[in-house]
Amino acid sequence: MSEEERLFPTQEVGSIAKPLWLVQALKGQKPSPNALSDLERWRGRVPFVPEHDPRLKKLLKGEVDEVGPHGLRDLGALFGLRYLEAAGLDIVYDGEARRMEMYEFPIRQMTGFKLLGHVRSFDNKYYLKGACVGKVGLPEPYHLDEFEFLKREARRSLKVPITGAYTLADWSWNEYYLGKQKGWKGRKARRAAQRELLVDIARNAIRPTLKALIDRGAKFLQVDEPAAGTHPDEAELVVEAFNESVEGLDAKFAMHICFSDYRCLFPALLEAKKCSQFLWEFANRDTPEKDGYRDLELFNEFEDHREIGLGVTDIHRDVLESPELIRDRILRASKILGDPKRLYVNPDCGLRTRSLDVAWEKLTRMVRGADLARASLAG
Amino acid sequence: MQDLPPPIPLGAIFYLLRSGPAVPQVRLGLTSSFPRPEELVAATRELDRGRRTAEEVQGLYESWTGRVVDLESRLGFSTVLGGDLGRQDLFRPFSESTPGLEVGPLTRWFETNTFFRQPIVNAPPQWAPGAFARQVPFERLLASKIAPRVILPGPYTFTALADNRTDLSRQELAVRWSELLAREVEDLSAHGVKVFQLQEPSLVVDPPSVEEESWVREAYEPLAPALSQVDSVLWTFFGDGAPVLPLLASLPVETVGVDLTDTDPTRLTELAPGKGLGLGCLDSRTTLVEDPKEIARIVRDLFDRLEPSEILLGPGTPLDLVPWEVAEKKLSVLPQVRKVLEGAPAARPRQVAPARRPAPAKRSKPPAPRARSKPKPKVKLKASSKRAPAKGGKKRR
Repeated sequence: MSEEERLFPTQEVGSIAKPLWLVQALKGQKPSPNALSDLERWRGRVPFVPEHDPRLKKLLKGEVDEVGPHGLRDLGALFGLRYLEAAGLDIVYDGEARRMEMYEFPIRQMTGFKLLGHVRSFDNKYYLKGACVGKVGLPEPYHLDEFEFLKREARRSLKVPITGAYTLADWSWNEYYLGKQKGWKGRKARRAAQRELLVDIARNAIRPTLKALIDRGAKFLQVDEPAAGTHPDEAELVVEAFNESVEGLDAKFAMHICFSDYRCLFPALLEAKKCSQFLWEFANRDTPEKDGYRDLELFNEFEDHREIGLGVTDIHRDVLESPELIRDRILRASKILGDPKRLYVNPDCGLRTRSLDVAWEKLTRMVRGADLARASLAG
Repeated sequence: MQDLPPPIPLGAIFYLLRSGPAVPQVRLGLTSSFPRPEELVAATRELDRGRRTAEEVQGLYESWTGRVVDLESRLGFSTVLGGDLGRQDLFRPFSESTPGLEVGPLTRWFETNTFFRQPIVNAPPQWAPGAFARQVPFERLLASKIAPRVILPGPYTFTALADNRTDLSRQELAVRWSELLAREVEDLSAHGVKVFQLQEPSLVVDPPSVEEESWVREAYEPLAPALSQVDSVLWTFFGDGAPVLPLLASLPVETVGVDLTDTDPTRLTELAPGKGLGLGCLDSRTTLVEDPKEIARIVRDLFDRLEPSEILLGPGTPLDLVPWEVAEKKLSVLPQVRKVLEGAPAARPRQVAPARRPAPAKRSKPPAPRARSKPKPKVKLKASSKRAPAKGGKKRR
């Protein structure tokens, strides 16, 4: 039995933090003594390149230019991949090592967008936000090089994450399509324009990219829609974006949604027929006073029997969940769904906001928690 | 004893003798926080990474606040806010300093990709003297010689979005919050703040039922005496203001604001006499810059139909949802709207009412830290004889 075929396969959801040596080197800086010592420490735990690798040797000597941006990104991707494999996950990627950010990266690949400036997400955290100023197009599908690279290197199954059309549209300003609406740009006009935008992103950018990835051998792809719950009355648009993106394609698709009121997405979400798995954040809302997994009952309520990617570790806090707590969460979810075979186990979302040390602890505890849950059901 | 009506200025009498189209009395203002410029974005990021000192970043805040004040002044706004550049979210100045409150988890700010820290109420909140005032850039605001405005979280929205862990009911907490705000208004007005704006997005996003409306009115009662001494605005956004306009107008504020992006202006049908109408006519959810003629058309229509005592124009949703340059372009639409209105007045000739009564002596207030000469009230001609005189005859800003 492969690791994926056993109960509770473990998987990553998205990005992990980039190591300091990579951040500095990509800026053309010689890695600081701290960064190099961190690199050595992590190589002990995650031997992502052999000692004699010429890129590593140059990096350790501070010859960043000699390694070059391409070589540095390869090293970063290898580190991310081996980090997740070494943590014990069954389904991996590279921690999105080559992507600067889940919004900005895809937007930069498309035509019709212009990045306008930073807006605040919260406190002193910002993101570079773009406006759609023309019809959306895509000169070349993206994520292909990173996938080809990982396909060669991976020792576990791969799942390719890609930011979904709904989120890209929601996180952009819509000048082109809204500008075509006549008169006052009220809610109705905005909605109509938003639909046009997300359908064009889905058809013209996401679908060709998914197709190219599948043509190159991708078997499992995860569409990330963190914006899905932003507008409670737009569930149909979320689903339309997904369906347009995967139309005519044959692979296993998942949809990741987090920090949302999931109830507002029902029953529309059930119309995402080609979505085999929903990955949701749960641990963040699970407290001793409140069962954060009750929302799983929605699937029972609507008699939907798809796979669930169960968020079992909180990505916004450094507090480390014990393997026993994770085991209990998995068993609780199994009981609600009545079928443990439907459950995959993952963090709530990407662990990028945690340090590599904290993320490592969270992931390895998650893997141990899944082991405990398996043992519990077996025993 | 009732106040005798003040004499009607000569200009108004002259104006009354001729008939002609009415020009809406329009004031402009920054009704929300302003975005941080790229320099501050970079500096605050570096502050978080330990590469800049708090003093350096504070210096930048001050200098950019000055730039916002200059912009407000240049655009002919009747108030200055300074952009609230240092404020992390609507509640933070309070949740960080108010006994009984605590800064809580990140929570989505309505239907945006922006988050605020939810205030956690562990005990009945108590006013912390001077805590909020310390965060208001008085020096920059007062130097402009334009009336300073501050933004406060209204009681309905505060209690809708806070995590109330006390034994107080929501209504009791709202009353408690109003009492705290009343102290804040008195304190800040003593420092020279002239206009107080209460942000109440929850009143339109999650409006009270008809049964609940009475407690909302009751919750505002403790605020009424303090607000009666100052200029006050209640601002709603992110939702349809039409269904709750009668409730908004029944609250003890001078001007009630609705967000035109979410409110169909044709559905605004009635406004209590003497109330000012605020129109959030700049949409920060799009970078498209609004058409001043289109806004002027809506303003003129509402002015004719609702007969507000004045119209206040500003951004609807908080302007910090767009970058600095876009926000600047959008704000510059407001004086253009005023120009359009002045250049092409309302089609229907109207009888013109006397000018608003000059302000009577106000209740004695705590001495302001800085002595400032009061600007002379401008004589503005009201457009309808049916309209009730403005409450207390205060000069509005």
